[in-house]
Amino acid sequence: MEAVVYTCLGLMLVFGILAVMLHSMLKSAIALAAASAALGVIMYELGAIWAAIFEVSVCSGLVTVIFISAISLSNTDKKDLPKLYEDGKRMAFLPLVLIISGILLIVVAISSVSSLPVPTPVAEVADNFREILWNHRQADIWGQIIVLITGALAVAVLFKEGELP
Amino acid sequence: MRVIANIQMVANIAVLFFVIPLAIIAVNTLLPKKLAGRVSFYLGGFAGIMQAAAAAADFFLLSANRLHEYEFSLLWDLSIEGSERFSVDSLSLVMLFCIGMVTIVSVLVAKQTVHDRKRAYVNLLMTLILGMNGMVLVTDLFSLYVFLEVVGLSSFILIAMFKTDTGLEGAFKYLVMSVMATVFMLTGLAFIFMQTGSLQYKHVGMNVLRFQSHSQSVLIYAALILLISGFAIKTGAVPFHSWLPDAHQSANTAISILLSGIVIKVAGIYGFIVLVDLFNEVPAINMTVAVIGTVSIITGALLAMQQNHFKRIVAYSSVSQVGYILLGISTGSTLGLLGTVVHIFNHATFKSALFSNAAALHEQVGSLDINEMGGLEKRMPVTAFSSVTAFLSTTGIPPFAGFWSKLLIIMALWKSNMQVFAGIALVASIFTAAYFLRIQKKVFFGKLPDKYENLTEVKGTVKFAEIMLSVVTILTGVFFPLALLYLKGRGII
Repeated sequence: MEAVVYTCLGLMLVFGILAVMLHSMLKSAIALAAASAALGVIMYELGAIWAAIFEVSVCSGLVTVIFISAISLSNTDKKDLPKLYEDGKRMAFLPLVLIISGILLIVVAISSVSSLPVPTPVAEVADNFREILWNHRQADIWGQIIVLITGALAVAVLFKEGELP
Repeated sequence: MRVIANIQMVANIAVLFFVIPLAIIAVNTLLPKKLAGRVSFYLGGFAGIMQAAAAAADFFLLSANRLHEYEFSLLWDLSIEGSERFSVDSLSLVMLFCIGMVTIVSVLVAKQTVHDRKRAYVNLLMTLILGMNGMVLVTDLFSLYVFLEVVGLSSFILIAMFKTDTGLEGAFKYLVMSVMATVFMLTGLAFIFMQTGSLQYKHVGMNVLRFQSHSQSVLIYAALILLISGFAIKTGAVPFHSWLPDAHQSANTAISILLSGIVIKVAGIYGFIVLVDLFNEVPAINMTVAVIGTVSIITGALLAMQQNHFKRIVAYSSVSQVGYILLGISTGSTLGLLGTVVHIFNHATFKSALFSNAAALHEQVGSLDINEMGGLEKRMPVTAFSSVTAFLSTTGIPPFAGFWSKLLIIMALWKSNMQVFAGIALVASIFTAAYFLRIQKKVFFGKLPDKYENLTEVKGTVKFAEIMLSVVTILTGVFFPLALLYLKGRGII
């Protein structure tokens, strides 16, 4: 289990950096989806099965579809971006920020390990998943539906060319 | 039997807070383009009127049954244990009424200021209402965060939707600050979940006192710092206020009314109310909120004095006025909460009035630079009267509505042994008067420039909004003691 978690953590880091550094918006969106999928696997392995399903379906799946739709509507790619954007110096401090953030996360993780709740076994949670999703997280389902509607409207408003009525 | 029927009616009405905006999005999207262009604003106005009416009806039904709170589910069966994920109470109903009122004003102003993208404006207004309604109706911190995201996303698109340079810049600043707030809040919620094992209000309130070890205390305090920072960003409180004047100035005035009139209160202030309520056993939280409030009052007022753009002054005034609201919350008392809720309502009213004045000036004068104006009360008497009424209410002059809310907040501070903060709040009213006197003098009084000789008063829905808000401000001030007696008689306070 630990090997899977650490491998996925590494993949998440790599795809996360690629999402920021790639100049093609399309490739960047795909890298973000891959980072999100790796996070979903970590959540599953740590017992947060419903969070993993949401992460993979919404963040990795649906959000990527919205991003790709928006990119295809706007037709913006590397060739349209100003030269300034391609300046490699903007990433000079990125490794330092990542290292400091990593150290801070490790310190927080070590200092709070004693107060962490014991993860619930995956099988038990899986049995209750339907009940938890539909009965205990009712408000969140409505919230998710409204987020999706807002996202779709946002793509239409910001990226569609021409005047709307 | 009749009481039970009434109570069921509360739930039936409360469902409308979600159903009406969703239905309007569906209808507005499915309408043919030309028809949508003609009826979109009427649909938006209908949603605002229904929201205000539903909130008022539920408020009177609850108080008639002497109930403080009523839980309900949305389409799911309430009999399933744990499915009551929404709840209405006196506070949430006042917030819902304010959302409806500000929506009506925004649509009235939009009718004259939004010339294209009408359908998109109304659809996004509905998602904004859905987000705000959800925030005040949920009973779980994570659900609160989910709906907060809806509010943030809708606000960002509303600011950016007309694609002007300033609008896009304001939207980008709002987006960056909003993302920071999101990261802070999610991390804070994760820390609380690690400690309590639940994010439902009732469980957090009970379990938070169980932290005993040093590491557990550190975790809870870290969570509180992160959550306070997140909500302070959303509120536009100092030192997290940098996005607010740019966003409010650059947005279309119909959208500035929404942002300043209600969004900062639901997305930020309501979060503070929930936090102080859940963590009232942590003494540092009250003092932290009080300090943020005091600094916001003074800094917002001082910055407002230095501005020359009408909307920018009103935006900085919002920074200052939310400081008063935060001071009311910091007392943690019933009196303080009452003052807070009344000031939220009053602020929604007079800030909407001031932004309606901005819309009127922009329509007629064509500029919002106060140095280019003067003597406009001779040509725009309704706008001048509305502006003076809003100014007197903001400053807290009796018998206008703002007087009562500020009085309640200062009394609550005094009774909570926070006399220093009460003194500062009182003295800071002079700053409020200073920047508003400057704006009134430069815009409406003095000599009328020759170029404005042929200027006329604004007409149509903007004028109607100005008159309506002035009437509400005056009537609220005059009849407020009666409202207090009603609330006391019904056991609400």
